[in-house]
Amino acid sequence: MTERQLPRDALDGLLGPAGPEVGCDECFDQIDRYVELELAGEDTEAVLPGLGAHLAGCPACREEHASLRALVSGER
Amino acid sequence: MSVTIVRPIDPVNVSRKTVAPAASLDDESRAWLRDLRAEGPDRDAAIARLHELLLRAARFEVGRRRRALSSLRGGDFDDLALQAADDAVVSVLARLDDFRGLSRFTTWAYKFALLEAAVKVRKRAWQGRELPLEPDAWQVFPDAGSGPESSTELGELLTTLKSAIEEVLTPHQRRVLLALALNGVPIDVLADRLGTTRGALYKTLHDARRKLRAHLDERGMPLESWLEETT
Repeated sequence: MTERQLPRDALDGLLGPAGPEVGCDECFDQIDRYVELELAGEDTEAVLPGLGAHLAGCPACREEHASLRALVSGER
Repeated sequence: MSVTIVRPIDPVNVSRKTVAPAASLDDESRAWLRDLRAEGPDRDAAIARLHELLLRAARFEVGRRRRALSSLRGGDFDDLALQAADDAVVSVLARLDDFRGLSRFTTWAYKFALLEAAVKVRKRAWQGRELPLEPDAWQVFPDAGSGPESSTELGELLTTLKSAIEEVLTPHQRRVLLALALNGVPIDVLADRLGTTRGALYKTLHDARRKLRAHLDERGMPLESWLEETT
């Protein structure tokens, strides 16, 4: 990690996403639908506003989203 | 990149449990629901198939995270996946009526296994480890602001941010923010140690972040231009 990257990563973690976002519970409730919309090329933000922002701000939900997407896309 | 400081709505603070209308189910999802709601041997067979499905998902997740568990042996990984699959089956059966058909049933069910496995791996990786103390996190700041590429603007931004973390946040918000955002403590691990939930901790993190953004905005900090510069 370079010194240039370090403050950017730190700032992202400290300040989070700029826009409105859902919480972890709603993210979990909707993540299956979100992944299927993504894989179908749909506009996820229009259907599930704030969920993408939450994934940007929450490392744990982001990891679980990546796993679900990888698992489901591997079956298609 | 446009950065909006003021948030017109704050869904993290609002429970938005929308009850979406049940979508028309695909044949496979309908069959899962029918079999899991059956009685006797049909239900037992469906639960066994569900367990098999969720064990595959849990193994997939544990496999992705093996590097975080370098001290474990091969059999331990499968034990972890099995525990995750067991717990996920219980969760899926308990929440069967929540399935609205807005995704395939298998996609909906997978998320329970992935969550159980991910949480178990994170907790196992931090088992017996002390959480980093606050001063560990502060080491980021002087290094970050004194590098050869650091601008005066960046130095000022980091100095203001550090002051805001010390002065604007409550002790609880500061502890949570530094642990999660700078010290890399997984949110499930911190929630476990503090006796709270992941959702409650994320709300604390969100509120802290909002306070910091508002503080920087009030002081005219060039957050937007700095972020654009480094994108």
